[in-house]
Amino acid sequence: MIWLEFAIMQRALIGCVLAGFLMGLIGVFVVRMRLSAIGYSMSHGAFAGAALGVATATNPLATGLLFASGTALVIGPIADKARLHADTITSIVFPLNMALAFVFLTLAPEVGLSSQVANVLWGSIISMTNSDLLYLTTLFAVTLAVVYFVWKELFAIMFNRKLAEADGINTKPFVYLIIFLAGVVITFSLKLVGGLLIYALLFNPASTVLQFSENMRKVVIASPLVGMATTVTGLFVSLFFDLPVGSCIVIVSTIVFGVALLLSPKRRRKEENEK
Amino acid sequence: MPEKAIITMENVSTVYEGESRPAIKGINLTINQNELVYVVGPNASGKTTLLETVNGLLPPFKGKVTVFGLDIQKNGKKIRCQIGYVPQDFMVKPGEPYRAIDVVLMGRYGHIGFLKQPTEEDKQKALDAMKLIGIEDLADRPMGKLSGGQQQKVMLARALAKKPKILLLDEPFSNLDPDSRGQIPLLITKLHDEQDLTTMIVTHDIHHMLEHCNRVIVVTGGKVTFDGTPEQALPLVENHPHTTSLKEEHHH
Ligand SMILES: Nc1ncnc2c1ncn2[C@@H]1O[C@H](COP(=O)(O)OP(=O)(O)OP(=O)(O)O)[C@@H](O)[C@H]1O
Ligand SMILES: [Mg+2]
Repeated sequence: MIWLEFAIMQRALIGCVLAGFLMGLIGVFVVRMRLSAIGYSMSHGAFAGAALGVATATNPLATGLLFASGTALVIGPIADKARLHADTITSIVFPLNMALAFVFLTLAPEVGLSSQVANVLWGSIISMTNSDLLYLTTLFAVTLAVVYFVWKELFAIMFNRKLAEADGINTKPFVYLIIFLAGVVITFSLKLVGGLLIYALLFNPASTVLQFSENMRKVVIASPLVGMATTVTGLFVSLFFDLPVGSCIVIVSTIVFGVALLLSPKRRRKEENEK
Repeated sequence: MPEKAIITMENVSTVYEGESRPAIKGINLTINQNELVYVVGPNASGKTTLLETVNGLLPPFKGKVTVFGLDIQKNGKKIRCQIGYVPQDFMVKPGEPYRAIDVVLMGRYGHIGFLKQPTEEDKQKALDAMKLIGIEDLADRPMGKLSGGQQQKVMLARALAKKPKILLLDEPFSNLDPDSRGQIPLLITKLHDEQDLTTMIVTHDIHHMLEHCNRVIVVTGGKVTFDGTPEQALPLVENHPHTTSLKEEHHH
């Protein structure tokens, strides 16, 4: 029994480390490429998809991925061309995905509010399987390789997409690469944190670190570390107080962001900088 | 010297997405190698649209733009590696995580192959460009914490670090102080001559126009309404209330 719990704990811990790191890393690109609306919509798309997976007793990962990519395919071009304001997109897509998710969850009467439904909603540490960890590890390697090899393109696009184009970079494939990676990372981290809260993990570490650093390279190194630290801390808080792990992670990461906001040298100097 | 056409526009009209009225229309223009052209005209006349149609950032609705004899819409990526572009009023907000040297180095990215990182040589070229403009001491400063004029100089250094064959500069001197307003246009003219560049500069400053070029294009209402020497252009420009000032009222 002890041994079983140890194995569960071990998987949860590894899952937290990987998911926290990946969400923190990909979040920097999502935030700085102004893809927040897409990231937000994909998070809840993945949630709705996972709910469908639970309701139909298929693999929630597959349906989550399907919905996340579907959302990206529909929203991507709209946001890309700035045909609609980001706020408009999120405020229309968020309720739709929520509505779908709740319909799917109630469509499965014999499942009811079973543990699987709860997992999709708030995440759970016992849900991590060995294959989940394998997926996350693969994703970890792929994402690191992408960031390393196409760093200069990503960096230029984060600075200014139009200027990157003017410098001879074809920006579209790189933007869609980040959208795609974000969708996959979100989906594979969903089980741990839950669909209602996953977005915080994408956004908070990057926003925290951006309060401090004026060097993008440092931001890209620090944000995944902050993401990792908050998921792991959240995990232990959840175990200690016996609370849902997703909520604990999000609360920890929000506290970290709040503290960063208070301590940020950027904020303190900001008044002087602005005319 | 034989005249070699570098930029040609044939009956070009550009319409912004969601608009029905073209921002520039029926433009026919040929710019030869080593020509230094100043583009002047009132606000909203289409100067910026013209430059961004030349480098292909805006697709023409009608007509064809060729650069180095190639269709810019089909070969944009390749051609833009050779074009140093300084956009109008480009400003980085305080707190953005980019240092000045990072921004200048980005100018070289088009020359560095896919999956490759900037080399020491690229970094040296970026630093040299900053030195040329006289801002090497700003290299490690965060871009957002530089003044408007300093940021404008960084953007110029970025364009020069590219070692371009074409320069497209959109009001590149608008934030500069009187000293720099004297020196930097002179420097650009010198580089233009030394490196046999082809240059288009949008300005509202008649003094620059008179001193530094041999060809002026006046854009009014989306059309080229004049194309000739600065002396001929002077009466046209002087009569226009928008173009006479040094854009002081735009400074915030
Ligand atoms: N993104 C856009 N969408 C729609 N219309 C635009 C856009 N940008 C410019 N325009 C319109 O196109 C016309 C030409 O604009 P442009 O920016 O080329 O003028 P300009 O000559 O550069 O003016 P200025 O001296 O103020 O820089 C204007 O009527 C402007 O309103
Ligand atoms: Mg303009």
